[in-house]
Amino acid sequence: MSEVLSKTALRGLGAEWLAQGKAVAGPVSVKPGVVLYAPLDSGEKLCLEGFIHPANSAKEFVFPRHERLCTYQIEGKRVELTNGGAEIRPQVLVGVRPCDAAAMPILDKVFNWDCADKLYNERRAATTIVTLTCKAHDEACFCTSVGLSPQAEQGSDVLLFDLGDEYEVRCLTEKGAALFKGKTQSSDRTAEPYAGPEPKFTPEFVKKFVNEQFTHPYWQEATLACLGCGTCAYTCPTCHCFDIVDEGNLRRGERVRNWDSCQFTQFTLHASGHNPRADQGARQRQRVLHKFSVYPEKFGEILCTGCGNCTRNCPEGLGMLTLLAGMEAVT
Amino acid sequence: MSNANLFEPKIVAYVCNWCTYLGADLAGTTRLEYPANVRIIRLPCTGRIDFNLLVKAFEIGADAVLVSGCHPGDCHYTAGNYHARRRWMLFRDLLDTLGFDLRRIHFTWISAAEGRKWQEEITRITAETRELGPYRELYQKNGFTPVALPGPPQAASPDATSMATQEMKLRETAARLLTEGAVKVVIGYGAHGPVFIRRAEDAAKLVWNASCAANLTTYLKRKEIKRLGKAAVVVKGCDERGLVILEKESQVDRPNLHVIGLACAGMGEPRCAVCEVHQPRFANEVIGNAVEQAVDAKVASALDALMQLSPAERMSWWAQEFDRCVKCYACRQSCPLCYCERCIVDKNRPVAIETSATAKGNFAWHITRAFHLAGRCVGCGECSRACPVGIPLSLLNMTLSRAAQKHFGYKAGMDPNVEPLIGTYALTDKEEFIR
Repeated sequence: MSEVLSKTALRGLGAEWLAQGKAVAGPVSVKPGVVLYAPLDSGEKLCLEGFIHPANSAKEFVFPRHERLCTYQIEGKRVELTNGGAEIRPQVLVGVRPCDAAAMPILDKVFNWDCADKLYNERRAATTIVTLTCKAHDEACFCTSVGLSPQAEQGSDVLLFDLGDEYEVRCLTEKGAALFKGKTQSSDRTAEPYAGPEPKFTPEFVKKFVNEQFTHPYWQEATLACLGCGTCAYTCPTCHCFDIVDEGNLRRGERVRNWDSCQFTQFTLHASGHNPRADQGARQRQRVLHKFSVYPEKFGEILCTGCGNCTRNCPEGLGMLTLLAGMEAVT
Repeated sequence: MSNANLFEPKIVAYVCNWCTYLGADLAGTTRLEYPANVRIIRLPCTGRIDFNLLVKAFEIGADAVLVSGCHPGDCHYTAGNYHARRRWMLFRDLLDTLGFDLRRIHFTWISAAEGRKWQEEITRITAETRELGPYRELYQKNGFTPVALPGPPQAASPDATSMATQEMKLRETAARLLTEGAVKVVIGYGAHGPVFIRRAEDAAKLVWNASCAANLTTYLKRKEIKRLGKAAVVVKGCDERGLVILEKESQVDRPNLHVIGLACAGMGEPRCAVCEVHQPRFANEVIGNAVEQAVDAKVASALDALMQLSPAERMSWWAQEFDRCVKCYACRQSCPLCYCERCIVDKNRPVAIETSATAKGNFAWHITRAFHLAGRCVGCGECSRACPVGIPLSLLNMTLSRAAQKHFGYKAGMDPNVEPLIGTYALTDKEEFIR
């Protein structure tokens, strides 16, 4: 036995959540060929078919690309500080890919490591994630290589399975169940699990390679095409580096938190002018090292969910998968 | 009493130290009255008034902006105002495309002796701005439904058979250059993005097909590539225009670069429909032959459609597009002509362009990026192609290319003998917009 919901009813539910004052976000087709997770103002705009993965990730709804931390005002010797966080409303992320949902518990760990990040945690607590499991994958997908699957449950409150004209609804948490209570019908249809992409590498191999072959010329050779933009990091569901900057003048302004990327030259540039990661090879290696060695050692989880966004979005066809796949060839 | 009477416009005037500031001073000492709505900011010369200042004035609440300096021929630094005039001609067109209200942007030449002209101009600008009301449209998404612009015009699709022959010859060429030791690396297209061939036996990794739209000259700026040694780079006729600019700006040492030109019938990209250089002109060797076809100047483009909208609608359209920008700087990194070692947006003492991906930060960034390419952009479209969220950035560059052509008959990268557009000036430059 299972619980099902028709596809039109899901859109209706979206409208209902909006009417309840919740923020709702999900995949939206912003222009031909570009699907992005974006805030919704109606259930109709929800785009749930015809693409593999939105070009961005769902992380920006818990860890926005720009966030005001506080505002300051200086008068004479007095400094006045006010909390700057925007109002945090309950939000529903619908149609999230399992690889985006799985990133949430991974991010939770770093945002609660040496200090609990108040804004992140508040947003996270206010968020319910309704995941739509995958029925297709492309060349860039590799969730099965990092221990996940097209129906991975990590991070999701609800899993939806596409049955053609309706969705099978599996509520995993109370938060999720509350959204769908009384909305679904019983049915005897259940979804078949989808196998997803063939595993392409093992995380253990990558960890070993990056640690043992730290100075291997591979890092230089394989990353020559990298132009040093932040597309891979900014569209990655797990990359979470940020920069805190003050914007304003000597009398008033605000302290903000903006995304940052280890692929930028300036990321590790010292005030002296020395840069410990002097070239793009070192920067790309850092990305792999952080995801497959540093983070697992610290938090016990790989900082990669195999969504393939880095490969899909890289203007020059690089990305984690390209880089990892090439490692086998040189060992 | 109507509300309009209650509105006191704020006007920011950027004036040069030597003429207009003294003109304003003269107005004061001769007791000429004019509205107190103007805030004067004194700068050395109009030639050094950064275009971003104008945008910043609007951001902090100005309802109108004035830029004023010495009359042509009177510049304290000989030619600062001539440079300013040329730059502002282009910049106005960019602001127009972005939907800024040009009625709020004023230019004048006011000499140290023209206290009265200062009085008259400030009075006029204040009255006009009062009439226009407060500038509320800045960066606003005014609830216009997003306008879908027409797709790219149909460009000729490449001929697979002749490309296969070219591909074969390209591989032979690369192998020969590497065997002879003429170059250390061949920068070319591979099956999944750019490849850097360093051994003759790897030459078979080079491809030439309908997916070779990228402009590989962008790699010439990368220090990781420079240190590989003397390079050969594969270019199409359009890419080669960028090389012309890079050489003019001393960014490539042309004798130390081997250029392999590939005749190209078009890659099916929007720019291919209006391409004028299918056949590379300055390459060391050219593979294949392409016929130049007459370009239909009237080809409908997204930019034309955008310009049909009202300024407020255009601004709203851009605000919606920029809303998606995450500031990954793929537009900058992929551009062959964005080669600064430290970009203005990376300068943080003091911050010139805010790094925040907000309406303000995004407009500031995209205005700066586009304008730094004024008279330089060759229209390769890499910025649009690289953008992960699909912002049609090349429309901004196209605006400036059109402006360069309209005002100066200049086309970047076409003629290596022509002096760069920005950095030079002519006494005959138009100045209809300056009072």
